[in-house]
Amino acid sequence: MSKELLLSAKGVNKSFGATRALIDVDVEVSRGEIRGFIGENGSGKSTFSSIVAGAQKEDSGTFMLKGQEYHPKSMVDAQMHGVSMIIQELGTIGGISVASNIFAGRLEEFTQFGLLSWRKINAAADKILADIGAPEIKGSMMIDQLNFEDRKIVEIARAMSTDPDLLIIDETTTALATKGRRLIYNLINEMHEKNKAVLFISHDLDELMDVCNTITVLRDGVIIDTLDRSNMSVELMRTLMVGRELQGSYYRDDFDGSCSDEVVLEARQISLRPSFRNIDLKVHKGEILGLGGLSDCGMHEIGKVLFGIEKPLTGEVELVQKKKKVTGAVMAVQNGMAYVSKDRDKESVILSSSIESNIVLPKLRNMQKGAGFISPKDEKELSETQIEAMSIKCRNRKQLVKELSGGNKQKVVFSKWLGTDSDVLILDCPTRGIDVGVKAEMYKLMMNLKREGKAIIMISEELLELIGMSDRILLFKDGALTKELHRSKDLDEKAVIDYII
Amino acid sequence: MTNGAFLKVDNLGNLINQGFVLCMIAIGAAFVYAHGGMDFSIGAVSGVAQLVCGLLILQGTPLWLCILATVAVCAVGGCCTAGITLIFGVPVFIGSMCVRTSFQGILKTFCQTSEIAIDYQKYSFLNTVGLKAAILVISIAVGYYLFNYTVVGKYNKALGGNPRTAEQAGVSRRKWVFIAFLLMGICVGIASVFAFFRSGKVNSYTGSGYEFNIMMAIALGGFPMAGGEKSKISSAIIGALTVTCLENGLGVWGLDTTLISCVKGALFVVIVAISYDRSAGKLVN
Repeated sequence: MSKELLLSAKGVNKSFGATRALIDVDVEVSRGEIRGFIGENGSGKSTFSSIVAGAQKEDSGTFMLKGQEYHPKSMVDAQMHGVSMIIQELGTIGGISVASNIFAGRLEEFTQFGLLSWRKINAAADKILADIGAPEIKGSMMIDQLNFEDRKIVEIARAMSTDPDLLIIDETTTALATKGRRLIYNLINEMHEKNKAVLFISHDLDELMDVCNTITVLRDGVIIDTLDRSNMSVELMRTLMVGRELQGSYYRDDFDGSCSDEVVLEARQISLRPSFRNIDLKVHKGEILGLGGLSDCGMHEIGKVLFGIEKPLTGEVELVQKKKKVTGAVMAVQNGMAYVSKDRDKESVILSSSIESNIVLPKLRNMQKGAGFISPKDEKELSETQIEAMSIKCRNRKQLVKELSGGNKQKVVFSKWLGTDSDVLILDCPTRGIDVGVKAEMYKLMMNLKREGKAIIMISEELLELIGMSDRILLFKDGALTKELHRSKDLDEKAVIDYII
Repeated sequence: MTNGAFLKVDNLGNLINQGFVLCMIAIGAAFVYAHGGMDFSIGAVSGVAQLVCGLLILQGTPLWLCILATVAVCAVGGCCTAGITLIFGVPVFIGSMCVRTSFQGILKTFCQTSEIAIDYQKYSFLNTVGLKAAILVISIAVGYYLFNYTVVGKYNKALGGNPRTAEQAGVSRRKWVFIAFLLMGICVGIASVFAFFRSGKVNSYTGSGYEFNIMMAIALGGFPMAGGEKSKISSAIIGALTVTCLENGLGVWGLDTTLISCVKGALFVVIVAISYDRSAGKLVN
């Protein structure tokens, strides 16, 4: 294969205030290359890719694309130059159709005499969606009808609609279940065969090993090493990323799936829609109950129903020991429940608030002294303890959450619920989009909570995580409970996957 | 510019009188604006409260009962706005528009032909600068405490920042939004009592424009219009003082009342354009 250079970046620097996100980064990507980018949260991989995609401006440095100087003014400008990006968080615009999302910013291509031809737009959208392997999504559908995963696929379609030479995929697969992942891998293959290039950012090291032919490791804004097929290994990547050796697997190492017989939370005959009905579920004291399946199988909604923020058509959820029915989030929290949403930015944190305010929020009612007084000193102590215990990377406790990286935001979410008196924790995709280092910490935390006798319901799209952490796994497929599995040494992905697809 | 008239003793008294009403309301309004609510009913509610006060005084009702009734009317007004907003799930400004329209209707029905007047000199003890200053200082202290050191302020700011996150953290939106409106109602009530005993009369224009002065005070003081963490009660109070000085200063300068409105409007646009955080979403929610 020819080694024609597609993108080269030289001496790229970028700072956010006092934080240097990129320091003198040099990257060269050739045609036909599938380049992986790995690094811990905040190591600068997303910053680099978003500069290439035109979402941010570099402070200094030069970019060359296809032999010409390249400094995109915006993401649309970058797309015109042949660079498309699929981003980490949800990037679709609500309230408009799928086709409008795919061609956002470029509708004039379908305009004649100042009038839009919806027929043409929808047809073009349908074609792109079919090309990337998702013919069941149509251009005329409203974006809000689609679930999280399908919206992600619409974003992929938008990125592919300009037939890019360089495709940037930023931690997209962590948001996707099997269907979307397959679709992305197919696309990557196609790009490779067409002698184009892909920048692939992921936390999933095995995935990177499978997909990429070169991998660049970043740490604290500096390129540590670039590996090619000959010296690639998961252990080496982990060591390079963290800068020290990580030992063993980060999942729990015991195979004791036993727990107390005491039922803490029970759901009876939950129905959400005609195709999703009569689900029964019990979780015990000190148990990690995993819920698994494809992203649209209904397990995320079950989490919401258990916490009382979504009303089921029929059925009820009961906190068994307290003999109380769960009727809403406020009541649930007051009776010892905690919920970590899958949609971190929209539901789990207040982006415009400080780390401190976010951490203390669920604890405020227990911090009241005489006359409802909440001491700023208590707040400071509590938030500083949590920031240190969770090693949240930040300037200080007053820094706004929106300035933090994905993994650090998730740490803030966990800090919120630690040290509250909650006995039931519902964690919806608790490790989505966070790196191995943080993941390991989260798993350790879950084990500690289990030992304290808390009941944990972990909803996850990652089978390895479910197998690695759960005492008991409930698998769902198309709104039905298909299988209950207990913790055992012999459980592997193959044993699970048949029940969910 | 005003040949010193702005700083004359007479005018200082005026300033305190005008400033008292606005500051008092601003203290309460801070709680509503903190959760992102924008209330248009303050003026109309105050008008009706003053009307009730006037009618009761004319009936010979004891003074303490009149004061209590005035505050109660405003509290009910606030609760109505909160009730409509929460029960029907509509934006605050729609709820408050309903209340504004109905209360204006009540006021106009009673004051259609004539105004209600009382012998306000009988109540001049309610009109002293010292008393007002004392009440204002106490109210500011209480407001400051509630806003910064209790869940009342903290929860309302969290609701302004992200209502879903707040609710998932166990903050009842219904309860705390309601309490914010109740607090605002009480503050409007106290302001109405003193406004009434200062002028001694009620007509169909009584109270009109309060809500816009408050909105302007909020913007001028640097209080974020969408609420949230950056909300500060001191911003609301400083804003209220600024608006008072502005209005009074322009008046003493000799500018026509109608022109003062124009100047205020223009200034409002400029301030909001500069200070509004557009990333936070809609202005009115």
